[in-house]
Amino acid sequence: MKKLLLTALLATLPSAGAATLVFGNNGDPVSLEPGNITDGISIAVQRQIYDTLVDFKDGTTDPIPGLATSWKANANATQWTFTLRKNVKFHDGTPFNADAVVFNVNRWWDKNNAFGFRNQGRTYEIWGQLMGGYKGDATSVLKSVTKVNDSTVRFDLNKPSTVFPSVIGAGYFGIASPTAIRQQGAKYGTPASKPVGTGPFIFQSWRTGDRITLTPNKAYWGAKPKVDSLVVRSIKDASQRLNELKAGTIDFANDLTPDSLKSVQADKNLVAVKRPSFNVGFLSLNNRNQYLKNDKVRQAISMAINKDAIVEAFWPGLGISSASFLPPVLAWANSKNVPADYKFDPQAAKKLLAEAGYPNGFTLDLWYMPVSRPYFPSPKPIAEAMAADLSAIGIKVNLKTEDWAKYLDDRNKEPGFDMYMIGWTGDYGDPDNFYSAYYGPTASDDINWNPAQLEKLLEQGRAAVSQADKAKAYAQIHDITYKANYRIPVVHSNPLAAARTYVKGWVPSPLGSEAFNNISLVGKK
Amino acid sequence: MGSYLIRRLLRTLLVMIGISVVVFAFVRSIPGDPAVAMLGERATPEAAAALREQLGLNKPWFINYKDPAHLFDAQFPKYVGQLVQGNLGSGIKSNIPVRDELAARFPATAELAVAALLFALLIGLPAGVVAALRRNSAWDNLATTISLVGVSMPIFWLGLLLSYFFAVRLGWLPPSARLGNETTLQPLTGFYVLDALLRGQPAAAWDAIRHLILPAIALGSIPLAIIARITRSSLLEVLGQDYVRTARAKGLAGRTVTLKHALRNALLPVVTVIGLQAGALLGGAVLTETIFSWPGLGSWVYDAISQRDYPIIQGGVIFAALVVSVVNLLVDLSYAALDPRIQYR
Repeated sequence: MKKLLLTALLATLPSAGAATLVFGNNGDPVSLEPGNITDGISIAVQRQIYDTLVDFKDGTTDPIPGLATSWKANANATQWTFTLRKNVKFHDGTPFNADAVVFNVNRWWDKNNAFGFRNQGRTYEIWGQLMGGYKGDATSVLKSVTKVNDSTVRFDLNKPSTVFPSVIGAGYFGIASPTAIRQQGAKYGTPASKPVGTGPFIFQSWRTGDRITLTPNKAYWGAKPKVDSLVVRSIKDASQRLNELKAGTIDFANDLTPDSLKSVQADKNLVAVKRPSFNVGFLSLNNRNQYLKNDKVRQAISMAINKDAIVEAFWPGLGISSASFLPPVLAWANSKNVPADYKFDPQAAKKLLAEAGYPNGFTLDLWYMPVSRPYFPSPKPIAEAMAADLSAIGIKVNLKTEDWAKYLDDRNKEPGFDMYMIGWTGDYGDPDNFYSAYYGPTASDDINWNPAQLEKLLEQGRAAVSQADKAKAYAQIHDITYKANYRIPVVHSNPLAAARTYVKGWVPSPLGSEAFNNISLVGKK
Repeated sequence: MGSYLIRRLLRTLLVMIGISVVVFAFVRSIPGDPAVAMLGERATPEAAAALREQLGLNKPWFINYKDPAHLFDAQFPKYVGQLVQGNLGSGIKSNIPVRDELAARFPATAELAVAALLFALLIGLPAGVVAALRRNSAWDNLATTISLVGVSMPIFWLGLLLSYFFAVRLGWLPPSARLGNETTLQPLTGFYVLDALLRGQPAAAWDAIRHLILPAIALGSIPLAIIARITRSSLLEVLGQDYVRTARAKGLAGRTVTLKHALRNALLPVVTVIGLQAGALLGGAVLTETIFSWPGLGSWVYDAISQRDYPIIQGGVIFAALVVSVVNLLVDLSYAALDPRIQYR
């Protein structure tokens, strides 16, 4: 009897070898339903539960097989055929096949789909943004999605696109179990639901605002997880994420502030991890402003700002400045005619300003964001540094800011801001994702400068089949935008992450999130 | 007493109706709308307009008689219609019913507020009493200084400092969250300490208490300071009154006089302050919860404000107003218990 009791007691205790991997996420997910989110916090969790058709090689943006083992396009890239992985099962035991893919895609892109009911009357925003629109829209990239056979799916496009595999591989588009979606209806993806994918981890529970618990998928088709459970904690405050890391209550975390690098390096229990940069923080100059209309003035502004010094001061060891809108991993699409770095030359800038007819300078507004972003972690002092550089050539700067939601709104309202700070983090590994957000038909109207030529080149880039042809199109865009100086890239930052020393095998993706199946805990106490 | 209660409840109802209308108008008059806030850097005017339409935010706020098409689908009639049915709507971003999320998050906030208030009372009351009895002594100066520091220290700063010192440097307490990674607890009431005890998991209860300590200190620091100061001044005033002198003259022991006669009367303003602090605790919870990753109302509404998530802000404010009203009613009723001269008619 005593022995029985003891055994029963021991059974309730976690076994000695049980390894729990604890991740400090920077907030609570919005939803665990794929296609229904636009934020990195949600993707970080979804990425563990779901697979996408196309995956990306560790630490890069190069497409590799995911749920699709291969894909090929027709000659002009208007038709893409994906061969699906066989013998893959969803966590609920139902098979993954062409029907499942067609079901998911239809949910996202067809506004009238019966199973898009998650947000009655609402659409899956991110699909519209990345795919040009929805079923029936003239601008939609996708024309149709068809099951060829159980393990083959064909996508017909309205326009040639060679980026399609990268876009459909974006973390937003995880493939969910059609059975689970049918069963759970409108609550699918909410804390009251049980999201079901094919990914390396199986969803267990979600305490909102607190944590999500997952267990390993023992039948995973890829590398099986090396831990016994995965806990994703929601810790909004960056300083508190660092505290938790130092206290050992979490094992690894994202998005620490750049100024915590020293503190991480000084702690012998921690390793600093620099996520590859996939963002750009830049300054936008508005063509509606009488001074900024002048080419020479914009050029002078660009030359007057000491970007290298600013990056060195605010992102020590965690960022680079370059004369390209594209982060380093996409450098293959840069123009060879553009220097790698901007020239910092206040004397020449002053001369240009005089040539433009303003030897005594003038006054401008510079707007900085009120929130911290990976590309601008501390916008105010960065803005102050830029203002100081500009005042050295006679441009007096009024620093301005306002609440983030209003900031985003006002920049697009006439007359907009004179100069303002903003940035972008990429979704998929193609230059298109960076340039088309700011130029062409889907761009912001914040600078009143969007030449038709750029739109044509953007289309060329999307349609180019070989990387060489692509590079040609984007190099031209680079030339044009560099000379124009309407958007002046300041930084490509490496978001700072950190892990306890016993966390092995974590390779952060430039795309912002990666599956944790390769992580092991060696000697965690 | 009965008619007083009914009048008070009716008044609370009126206040709630007023607040519902004001909060509706107020959140919509904050510049920057939910569509833009949700889209973030991606917010082009076209994308924002499309999302606004999906969310029904392009509909007029109030009924427009000139435009009968929007007579019933205007935002305000829809909101009132929902409220009457006790429906607070769903979060714009998450689509989770506000009521469900309130139910999940309020106990976390309430547990923290109760712990903070307990901490404030346990330290603040004795400190105030000692300060009053040993007026102008070192104890008094210490209590006054501490309460000054308590009032002037920003909560987020104090919170981070506590977390860094006690969790990171000393390793005594967990830095944040409500439970450790290894603790599993099936919630019952949502008060984790209570739930753990009810489920017979003393280890989990201890874990929950350990997690409560730092945030409760951070949140309780301001009420503590205020309670200590009010207790001190109120007790000093009472101690100078005739009946205390009379009691002393009758030969009653010092302790009996202080505790039985004086303190009891001195507590009245302290109770009032506690009632007023209920609102302050809810407000302070915004920062404390954000710092300590505490999944309560405060951090939730805080996020909703920056996201312009109208239904959540509305629901959160209406609910908080209800809680404050109820607490104030209880405070008023407790006056009668403390001071028999006070009667409600």
